[in-house]
Amino acid sequence: MPRFNALGFGFLAPAMIVVTLFFLAPVILTVFFAFTNMSTSTGITGGEYLLTQSDLRGLKSSELSDSTYETLENSGYLIDEAGLARLAETRDQATADELARLHAGAQFDSRRDMERALKDLRDNRIRSTRDRKALAELFKTSVMDDRFQTRDEFVTALSAAGVPDADQKILVKEAYTGWVWTTENMKLLFSLDSSWRYAMNTLFYVVLTLSFNVGFGLFLAISTFYLPPTIANTFRTIWFLPRILPPVLYVLMWYWLTWDTGIISSFMSLFGMAPRNWMLDTATNAWIVVILINGFVGASLGMILFSSAIKTIPASMLYASEVDGANRWQQIRYIILPQLRWPILFTSSYQTLSLLTSFEYILLATDGGPGGATEVWALAAYHTALNNYGGNLQYGLGAAYALVLVVIGIVTSFLYLRFFNFKDLVAKPRIEQ
Amino acid sequence: MTSNFRSLPVIALLTILSLPLVVMYAFTLVDSITDAEPGSLIPSEFTFHHWRFLWDDTTGRGSVWIATINTFIFAGSTAAIVCATSLTSAYALSRLNFPARRFFLAGVIILHAFPTITLIIAIFLILQFLGLFDTLIGVIMVKAALELPFGIWVMKGFYDTVPWEIEMAGVQDGASRFMVWRKLVLPQVQPGLSALLIFSFLSGWSEFILPLVLAPGSDAQVLSTYLAYFLLDDSLEVDFNLFKSVGLFYALPVILIYLAFQKKLMNIYGGGSKG
Repeated sequence: MPRFNALGFGFLAPAMIVVTLFFLAPVILTVFFAFTNMSTSTGITGGEYLLTQSDLRGLKSSELSDSTYETLENSGYLIDEAGLARLAETRDQATADELARLHAGAQFDSRRDMERALKDLRDNRIRSTRDRKALAELFKTSVMDDRFQTRDEFVTALSAAGVPDADQKILVKEAYTGWVWTTENMKLLFSLDSSWRYAMNTLFYVVLTLSFNVGFGLFLAISTFYLPPTIANTFRTIWFLPRILPPVLYVLMWYWLTWDTGIISSFMSLFGMAPRNWMLDTATNAWIVVILINGFVGASLGMILFSSAIKTIPASMLYASEVDGANRWQQIRYIILPQLRWPILFTSSYQTLSLLTSFEYILLATDGGPGGATEVWALAAYHTALNNYGGNLQYGLGAAYALVLVVIGIVTSFLYLRFFNFKDLVAKPRIEQ
Repeated sequence: MTSNFRSLPVIALLTILSLPLVVMYAFTLVDSITDAEPGSLIPSEFTFHHWRFLWDDTTGRGSVWIATINTFIFAGSTAAIVCATSLTSAYALSRLNFPARRFFLAGVIILHAFPTITLIIAIFLILQFLGLFDTLIGVIMVKAALELPFGIWVMKGFYDTVPWEIEMAGVQDGASRFMVWRKLVLPQVQPGLSALLIFSFLSGWSEFILPLVLAPGSDAQVLSTYLAYFLLDDSLEVDFNLFKSVGLFYALPVILIYLAFQKKLMNIYGGGSKG
């Protein structure tokens, strides 16, 4: 008995590892990321501590005490014992002694002044500019514009610069360049005008595309059902291809159909119309193209499912209806459509979820254009986090967008679980071992 | 069925509706090997010029052959991983007795319905953490993982149709469950396995978003990103004849597989997972 348990788990193990790492972990991490301010500028691993002028300027009016501000602002380069000791160590004692003789106790505001002081050395000339630059750093007392790898290093440097403990905390927070936890994304999500627009776009897109998919899929399935087999198969092949062709090629064909150098423009120019980009010139056209591109692929799936469902209707039922004098329309209305109730329901629910979340075809076709007219929610998530013109990719906000879809996905998937007849699926194994 | 309607109007309607698609298919074929006068649609001369991307790198995007090899590796390994893992785990879910079996089964159904593309941002960051970003192996693992619940689901369906009597006979004769699976059950699900193999290969071959996001560099590029580069780069001169030839080259294996396995595909695509 235990041996077979081991076999079961052994058989499941590879799948479980892969699924956990690249499926369950992403679901959980999407939630985490949604509550961070991760972006290209914060990086994803950890951050450093870097205090800049602009950080300080942002703080001046707030909690930071004036004296601390003064200290940070004015401290620059000081030729003191510690600095001379460092110089003696990196270069030699003679240089350090000479500098002490010339400038001991001197204070400089900028690095240029500090370098000039080093230039003054006569007996122990430092010839290369690069060396002077490096040596000047040894006398630096300011923590400004310096990178610190850990919090401790930064705090030590702050104390050394004479910043009181009370002010250190806020400086540490301000200087940290890595990501932090925040609920800002969620607030943004509900307050941004654009996210409401994305939501409306998505609703519009899903409703129209879904109606097209189901309606046109039904039309294809029913009309080919009544045609002679060879003709029916020809049409089915034509309509099956959009689904099986790689999306990139399929959208390429649409480019050729709709662009200003494409066939519609060429054809219209015969009637004296100026060539134009039919896909992107107006928002309406963009929507029509987007819906048709997705609709043809979706209708393809509908056609396959509905065709196979129609085939399972007993022929005797159809014959009987004809004997009773039903015409084609009545046959469709009273026999075929009622039989298709479940496939239609299945296709609709399945495609609603897939249309809500997939953005492949829109990305390829209009990329959300013109002017964001066809930007749907899923595409907005992609653009925010993974590809935008600004260059600063906001992983956190993008994850917040995605999180909404993940939640919808999980809820819908649980509903599916109820739809499927779960008891049948988990029928007990009949061999006890 | 008796003909109490005339099929001609229906055929005419279908033909008109199918026209855009047919025109697209036909001109993709024709344009890739012919040239036409500017502004005209009727080809005037025959040429192989548009296939020049095969022998010289005019595109600035690297060799098409490397992309082709990458695509074969990508689609092939994904299909192999999906098939191998779903072959064993689907059997466990379908036939073996172990604790929490219901839980795993429910998990598979939920994952099967779950829209995987929403996870792309988190996956992007995970691959960065793991150092697998912009590598073929990273994309392969991700694609295989996302395809796996579907694979398990399909294979479980095939295992469910294998009669229990076969296994009982095997156990009766003293074979272990592992032996029974290997010698008796596997041959029974062989058709399902080949269908899944074809399907996941095609799915990998057509995959676009994952390579685009997870392997954007030119070293790990596959044909879909290679072709998309022409469409998405505005600085490139639009040369549809060239684009179509690249597209045709890319779709060639798909078309061949479709012609060879039409029936099998029709069945499995019914439960497929895209748009």
